[in-house]
Amino acid sequence: MKNNIILFKLALMLTLISCSDDFLVKTDPTNLVEDNFYQTETHIEQAVNGVYSQLQGIISNQWQYNEFITDNTTLHFNIPNRGQGPALEAIEYWNINASTGNINNLYNSIYQAMVNINTTLGHLQDATFDETAVQKFESELKFLRAYYYFHLVQYFGDVIIITEPVDSPSSAWTFERQPIEDVYALIESDLKDAVSGAHDYDAPAGRVTKGAALSLLGKVYLTKKEYDDAIQTLDQVLLMDYELLMSYADVFDPQNKNHKESIFDVQFQGGNELGEHSNFIYTFAPRESVGAVIDFSGENGGGWNIPTLDIIDLYEVDDLRKEVSLNEGYTSLDDEWVPVPYITKYHHKHSERGQTDDNWPVLRYADVLLMLAEAINEELGPTVDAYDYLNQVRTRAGLDDLNNLNQDTFRDAVLQERRIELAFENHRWFDLKRTNTPEELAQFLNAYGETARSNPTTPRGSIPFGVSDYVFQPHEALFPIPANQILINNELTQNPGY
Amino acid sequence: MTDKYKGILYKTLLLSALFTLLLSYSVSAQVDTVNGTVMDAQSDETLPGVNISIKGTTSGTSTDLDGTYSLNIQSLSDTLVFSYIGYQTLEIPVDGRTYIDATLTQQAFLGEEMVVVGYGTQRRSDITSAVSVIDITDVGERPITTASSLLQGQAAGVVVRQTTGTPGQEMEINIRGIGSLGAGSEPLYVIDGFPVGTSMGQNINPTDIESITVLKDAASTAIYGARGSNGVIQITTKLADMDEVSISFNATSGVQNIPNSRRTPMMNGVEFSQFKKESFMDKIRNFEGREPDIDEVPMSFRYPEETQYSTDWMNEILNQNASFQNYNMTVGAGSGSIRSLVSVGYTNQQGAVIETGFERFNARANLNGDINDNISVGWNLAGSFSREEYAPTSGRDAIIGSAMWADPREPVFNDDGSYNAYVGGNDGIFGTPNLVMELTEMDRNRNTADLTSNGYLQISFLNNFQFKSSVNASIVNGRQKEFRPSYLAGRGFDSPPPREAYQNESHNETVKTSTDQLLTYTKSIGSHDITTLAGFSAQEETWKRLSASGNEYPDDIVRFLNVAETVDAGSSEESWSLLAYFGRFNYAFQDKYLLSATYRQEGSSRFGTNNKWGNFPAASLGWRISEETFIPDFTWLTDLMLRGSWGITGNNNIGNYTSFSSMAPSNYVLGGNYVTGQVLSSFGNPDLGWEQSNEVNFGMDLALFESKMTLTAEYYRKITTDMLLPVRIPVISGFQNTFSNIGEIENKGLEFNLGYRTSVNNFNIRTNFNIGFNRNKVLDIGGDNDEIRNGGLYGPNNVSVPGRPIGMLHGFKMLGIFNTQEEIDAAPTQSGAHPGVYIYEDTNGDGEISYDTEDMVEIGNPHPNFVWGFNLGGDFKKFDLSLMITGAQGYDLYRQIEKTSLNMDGVFNLAQVAENRWRSADNPGNGYIATSDGWQWQREANSRYVYDASHAWLKNLTLGYTFSGTNNIMNDIRLYASADNLLLITSYPGNNPEVNQLGGINPGVDDETYPVPRTLSLGAVINF
Repeated sequence: MKNNIILFKLALMLTLISCSDDFLVKTDPTNLVEDNFYQTETHIEQAVNGVYSQLQGIISNQWQYNEFITDNTTLHFNIPNRGQGPALEAIEYWNINASTGNINNLYNSIYQAMVNINTTLGHLQDATFDETAVQKFESELKFLRAYYYFHLVQYFGDVIIITEPVDSPSSAWTFERQPIEDVYALIESDLKDAVSGAHDYDAPAGRVTKGAALSLLGKVYLTKKEYDDAIQTLDQVLLMDYELLMSYADVFDPQNKNHKESIFDVQFQGGNELGEHSNFIYTFAPRESVGAVIDFSGENGGGWNIPTLDIIDLYEVDDLRKEVSLNEGYTSLDDEWVPVPYITKYHHKHSERGQTDDNWPVLRYADVLLMLAEAINEELGPTVDAYDYLNQVRTRAGLDDLNNLNQDTFRDAVLQERRIELAFENHRWFDLKRTNTPEELAQFLNAYGETARSNPTTPRGSIPFGVSDYVFQPHEALFPIPANQILINNELTQNPGY
Repeated sequence: MTDKYKGILYKTLLLSALFTLLLSYSVSAQVDTVNGTVMDAQSDETLPGVNISIKGTTSGTSTDLDGTYSLNIQSLSDTLVFSYIGYQTLEIPVDGRTYIDATLTQQAFLGEEMVVVGYGTQRRSDITSAVSVIDITDVGERPITTASSLLQGQAAGVVVRQTTGTPGQEMEINIRGIGSLGAGSEPLYVIDGFPVGTSMGQNINPTDIESITVLKDAASTAIYGARGSNGVIQITTKLADMDEVSISFNATSGVQNIPNSRRTPMMNGVEFSQFKKESFMDKIRNFEGREPDIDEVPMSFRYPEETQYSTDWMNEILNQNASFQNYNMTVGAGSGSIRSLVSVGYTNQQGAVIETGFERFNARANLNGDINDNISVGWNLAGSFSREEYAPTSGRDAIIGSAMWADPREPVFNDDGSYNAYVGGNDGIFGTPNLVMELTEMDRNRNTADLTSNGYLQISFLNNFQFKSSVNASIVNGRQKEFRPSYLAGRGFDSPPPREAYQNESHNETVKTSTDQLLTYTKSIGSHDITTLAGFSAQEETWKRLSASGNEYPDDIVRFLNVAETVDAGSSEESWSLLAYFGRFNYAFQDKYLLSATYRQEGSSRFGTNNKWGNFPAASLGWRISEETFIPDFTWLTDLMLRGSWGITGNNNIGNYTSFSSMAPSNYVLGGNYVTGQVLSSFGNPDLGWEQSNEVNFGMDLALFESKMTLTAEYYRKITTDMLLPVRIPVISGFQNTFSNIGEIENKGLEFNLGYRTSVNNFNIRTNFNIGFNRNKVLDIGGDNDEIRNGGLYGPNNVSVPGRPIGMLHGFKMLGIFNTQEEIDAAPTQSGAHPGVYIYEDTNGDGEISYDTEDMVEIGNPHPNFVWGFNLGGDFKKFDLSLMITGAQGYDLYRQIEKTSLNMDGVFNLAQVAENRWRSADNPGNGYIATSDGWQWQREANSRYVYDASHAWLKNLTLGYTFSGTNNIMNDIRLYASADNLLLITSYPGNNPEVNQLGGINPGVDDETYPVPRTLSLGAVINF
């Protein structure tokens, strides 16, 4: 018996020693960790879903960098609270510097999404499940990677290209910014891969399809002024089942989401407790509107992304799009007219406070038509086709066809049409950058700035403008690389002028 | 415990006491007298004052001046025990003789006892590293609930703080300073060879403890590898004494009170109304420059003397004469091949705050025995159950803080006898729940049940070898429940009732197992003594939790989740494991040159895959100079040893899964359907490892005058590197920061332990004075200007920067109070300042005090210059007396609560001293309390809130008297009276100078916590 005990103990000891490595392996049973994830098709699918989901946060803040910074929108000036300066007002008034918090957020959020794309793509290399499924996942991920780099390169110029996850903290210091051309090369190659493996038109709504990949690739060519490629690429989209909806209002109506005009939307869902709702109008409605705009008692808006008098004045009489896109003011609960304009494209009835059902349109057919009109005009002048595409959009808006334009006036007409048709959909900044050199952009914006200073859209009380408010310098066409990234890695270069 | 159970317990105790008395009357007569002389073995001189007792009793006598004695004995088969300071104790069986001479041999010094060290025991005199033995017998019969109290004031460098008076709460113990910035500084507790973690738990019965040793330096703790860097506390529980059967019963009962001196005098109803009125009128005087009309003053405080109620909320929530009870019964059977000791204990400590308390049942059985000459076994089994009624008491938003600031002009009860449920909430005063009502009406309790088993089998073979295999296991079950009925106002500000009722309930289970296999080889060849140890250890711990919360209860009667309208539930699990191989080599030559070396290789599941295993070497040397022939044979010099040690230890408290990249759900909508998604939420670091400490220690042990006087001195320097801290990384990695092993801190210091014991006639005295000086310094945090800051403009601010100690107090330097506008104009700009606010120093000299942390500087040091303890024990005939004083000198506390108790807005009740505030240039107050005219330039973190907390605290005073037994059944009874926390000498205004509210690397903050009561108790120990 005694011997048995001893033998048992010795056996126990030996067992422990022999399986020592297993004994020291502990994974977190309560939370998923990378080491036990990315193994099966379900995991990869969830990882891809996760990548999609990060679009929600990024798109919800993008108005700052693509509309708010331009002549399209401004802010509902907050007279008593001047604390927003460094974060948001710097963007509106073109006072951005390397420490501007929201530029930092923009940069961070994109790279934080990138790591999930790269990690999932990496694991997809070793995937053993159905090859078509692998290809589809790869196409979706590459589209989104291209989408993000396309944004980064337009915002920041040269950027760090990262296509694989870093394997240890220290290797995060070994990357340098790469020239714009190299970034575009990656974007093009990713998009071409995305086109070849993409879902068809009838894929579940929200997924990246071939149409989306072609539309984005067309936009990349257009931006690079490779008009012939742009035309050929975008022409393929025309052959698909997309069409303009009869009613402009239907384009944004959540009842009607993911319709025939929509090519790629960021998906949101309201009306339940699942947390996938949007809340754009809560940011965009006037402050102190206490339930008069958002139909919940006492609800105020943020007063951000307020349509400027400049864009309001631009709408042609009879333009059906105006009332769908914005209101010039609202009637307060005390029955008084408050002349603070606000965006209505994303303002729809919803059942739960703070939880709207609105999607955000990223690519839609009207955009493709206008891109084609622009590309053809640049390549061949205002051809019949170019007029056709432009006038299709105008007709739906209840406007007369345009004709008798030369290449320059046609270019201006397309740009104006884009401004109105795609108003508040985060196109304006990139449209202005694409069609202007930095110097032209500065000239254009400063002209707008002067009118904005003399006739602000919302009252400022007695608070004067700062000297540098609404003064745009050509170098500001590119955002600065966030200061704290340079602080951490002082090898990182800054854009000129900052 | 229900009253019914209490009743049964009392009856049982009463019955056993009666039984005892009855038995003790069945006296048996003395039979004989023994005479003799006692001599020194070396000198053959007779020895006066030698104690002679009958073994197993306390009856005895001592030798007279001629060294002779005469003693009545009850049986000629008794054994006599001869003991004398500085001599080895001698036992002589009477064996029918009536004349017995004895010769006593001098002890070399007090070093023969065996001391528990890592994975074994060592003769005290052979120890060459810094090890403190806690003298438990000297601690006396204190009214304590937590065993951690036993360490108070006992060893230099072991800082024990009672940070709050919460019943049952463990002391905060820190060995040789704050040893880490990122992974905690608590020592490892090892109970009967089982490393249980960084807390000894609330459930050990102090009466069961046989010995406590504190391993302080790396050479002694390196054998515990990656858990050794903050020191190790070794606790062993009692075994039955050899060849003895004994029953010991002790009972202590006492009362606890918060002395008035430890309470902050707050304004009563009239005084507060008066303040409100004056504040209102002063604003008009100082800002509008006119004398206000009495009719302008709001009615509710226009006539302060007419204030209807005056409630001292603190008084209302204090439980005067809160009872303390403790009972223990220990039965030891030390004869035969299997010896057993069984103990049961019950402790019940009511809180000094009403409706709080701690209650515990303990049971333990320790068995050990010999199966044959070569094989021995042991098995300890201990179980306990504790029940705690608790309340949130830390900080101004919790019960104690609220009791200070609640509006005194409101009653506890309405005129109809119902509770006044909502206090304040008008006149701009923050509303708070009625504190008496909250404490009474809320259910908040926590139960902990645990069971621990330690078993071993030991085999001796081939003369020199010994193999010991042990298995330890423990299971701890915790349950916590909290219900807040709808009729209570909400905790926090301005939440009047009724509110949604809610409940939280959780259940935790921790299972710990470990096994050690130890092989020892001992050999003496001539003057060479060798002991070697080779060992293997494995340990695993798993923690599981199930928790649920409910909201919206249909009534407040049924307080269970099943009636809640909404229920949220969750569960989780965590686990870690470690494996270690280790060895120790001890070598002694002629007891003069001593060497000890240890080595441990440890692997842990917590470390990253590239860093799974760590190595922890250590070595120490001792040189017993007093044995050298070149040292003259001074009679006064008993022993002198110099020693030095070095070792590397680790700290593995880095979280269980920190090295992994974890995923977090991030969901989306595809095809109109909600879909589950996952994204990476943290950056894995496969290189992640333990914090590492590198420590050297030099020590001296000196014993003089036949060991009557002992002195131990230590110097140490410990450098801790590779601390687990978040570091910023380029965001292109996808993350803004990750945990990394960086940074460096230093702790160095001196420790002295001076002991003196003597015996004059029947008068024995033992004293011990210990003092520790620790200096800590951050050497590096991973960047040139990097700092770890906790806090902001309004403080408290603890800031750790390279070159300075950890967590220094930061804030503006307050220079005084602006008396006039001219003074303001002349001083550096303080935007918006008006007369009556504090003057801050423009430390960066830019002419402006910017309203941020820029002008803030170090304003206080929360680390004491030195911490000391003094113990005195004495007995004279049958009286015994012991006292313990602890103290700490030269450190600061940031009295955060004064932001509330001296908040001049009048939104809280104020401390009475607020009457000395600045009111006008002609009435400037005491110069330390700002005006009630505003708030800016008053409540920012500044030096005005820093107080010196140096103190000396008479922690315990005990007086006892022992009645000798008169028969074979009962040996003796000792009765004692004891006072804990009797006298506090300090200038610190708060209730407890040992407070450490934030803890860790944010020391020295006091936002008011559960006060520490003074306990007066009476007790008895009966030995059978």
